[in-house]
Amino acid sequence: MDDTIIAILRSGTPLIYVTLAGVLAQRSGIWHLGLEGLMIIGACAAVLGVVQSGSILVGLGIGIVLCVLASALLWFVIEKLRANPIIAGLGLTGLGLGGTDLAVQAIYGSQASVNAPFGLPRLGPAFGQYGVLSILVVLMPVFVIAVWVLTRRTRWGLQLAASGEHPFAARSVGVNPARMRLIALCLGGVLCALGGAELSMGSLQIFAYGMTAGRGFMAFAAVIFGGGNPLGATGAAFFFAIVGALGIRAQLLFGERVPPDFLLALPYIATVIGVWISGKLRGGAKAAASFGELKDY
Amino acid sequence: MIGYLTQIIRAVAFVFIALLLCGVIFEFAGFSAPLMFQSIADGAFLSMRAWENSLRWGLPLFLTALGVVISFRCGFFNIGAQGQFYMGAIAATFVADGLNGQSAVLVVPLTFAAGILGGALWALWPGLLRVKSGTDEVITTLMGNFIAGLALIYVTSGPLKDPSGTGQAASSRPIGEAYRISEGNSLSPTIIVICVLVGVGMWVLVNRTAFGVLSSLAGRNPIMVVWQGARLSRLGLAGFVIGGALAGLAGTIEVLGPIGRLSSGMLPTHGFTAILIALVANLSVLATAVVAIFFGGLAAAGLYLPVLAGLPAAAIDIINAAIALFITARAWPKRLTGLLRRDAT
Repeated sequence: MDDTIIAILRSGTPLIYVTLAGVLAQRSGIWHLGLEGLMIIGACAAVLGVVQSGSILVGLGIGIVLCVLASALLWFVIEKLRANPIIAGLGLTGLGLGGTDLAVQAIYGSQASVNAPFGLPRLGPAFGQYGVLSILVVLMPVFVIAVWVLTRRTRWGLQLAASGEHPFAARSVGVNPARMRLIALCLGGVLCALGGAELSMGSLQIFAYGMTAGRGFMAFAAVIFGGGNPLGATGAAFFFAIVGALGIRAQLLFGERVPPDFLLALPYIATVIGVWISGKLRGGAKAAASFGELKDY
Repeated sequence: MIGYLTQIIRAVAFVFIALLLCGVIFEFAGFSAPLMFQSIADGAFLSMRAWENSLRWGLPLFLTALGVVISFRCGFFNIGAQGQFYMGAIAATFVADGLNGQSAVLVVPLTFAAGILGGALWALWPGLLRVKSGTDEVITTLMGNFIAGLALIYVTSGPLKDPSGTGQAASSRPIGEAYRISEGNSLSPTIIVICVLVGVGMWVLVNRTAFGVLSSLAGRNPIMVVWQGARLSRLGLAGFVIGGALAGLAGTIEVLGPIGRLSSGMLPTHGFTAILIALVANLSVLATAVVAIFFGGLAAAGLYLPVLAGLPAAAIDIINAAIALFITARAWPKRLTGLLRRDAT
């Protein structure tokens, strides 16, 4: 049982950080499909930073700076050039995946993965089995509550939601929706950097090409599943992590009878079903075709 | 005419901006940007052999991109071309492998039918979820891509596994020589003919039929289409299915043609590139043909770079991604055109 809980926390924590970033973007009116790219930038920067400098703080810092810069670029393209957020986000994801690959090849030649000498600080033996969990797992609930308070219990959160849902109303009370979106995306960049760092440095201490394996997209699905509510989205992310962990557990139990690829597909299938049900519960769709385009003023 | 010209200039301008950004990234990563672009041009367009390769990679991309054009024109954001491409290839391989030994006259048409059907069915369920219960198609098609990728891994390491396979990636048994539509890993007249026929067919469908007119209206103003008495859900579903069928056809051609077998993780960026092609071509069928050859050239260069120039193939992914980042921009130089907001030509 403890093993399973640890497995769920380990696979769920990176997902939840990135989901929170997606929630912030969603509430500001942006469908954030660049999460995957930001996450892998964070994962890569943490490992390369530690290998090159020997300091975990430098690794995290580089990751945060790069992710915030990339988020600002995405904001510029979406807000100032009026690009379609979905395609631009997919482009950012591609830049992250390709850029990290290029960076690794530039530094280490054609090497598939990079090992770090040490990972994020752990809880330590005082916590028994749970001592292997990293500090970011422990801080995760703090971030969840912080994002919830920020979006649901502060004036800023209300202004953010107004910027997303009705930019005209936001402008009429003197809020600048463009700036709100920039702040939301950049805060999201920080969260993605932390999520990526937890992915690469939380348990494995390794960076491999494409190691995010669609987690960023799953986080986006969790945001939609959770209806843009931080707690709902966190719940959805946890649900995906649980399905994933149970899949691995089931693989050990029925590995002979059920092909492992079916079990690996479970989180994706769960996502489809979850989004389908949540769409039904909310009384069908928004009318056809907004495509996540920014609302005009 | 002027409208077309500005559209072309705009597309070229944003591709140019994207290439500039890539140059900066290459320099930042410690590669010489001029050398990188020179090598890419060498691998894509600067020799007869390079042109042949560009066409070889460009034509299947052209088919998948046409599918994206159709479904985007209908106003549905079907980004599942990758999964539909995989499912088409899987279905085609099952038929070609299962009927191995039968006459090619029987097997080849059945294989094509299976591939097209496989792609179409993989587009049908997100389409149905979309029009019946309003489930967002961006997520369902995206998740469909991952599920199809896992299905590909499963069949190539399970039911269709080549027992003599020694390579790193699992793959299916090779398609029988009698059923191949091209010799070895190259282009063939058959493939060119299929692509031209499908291209002409789609051009007629988009520009000369009621479906074409209604679907591009549906993309721009769905409410108006409903008021005119057309069934939006039926149009959209048709867009999904045609898109999936074309991606499945592309998968079939890859399996029966140049690649000659199914292998796990094959062409992982095919669908994404096809979406880019459709957008760079501004959802026009004719432009899609030209743009597809350009991106086919980039794909060919991606194979050339590591082998002959000693440069990482990731450069091509970065170029594609940077183009994606900018291509839908519509505020500069002016708000000329926008995604799915084309002139009604």
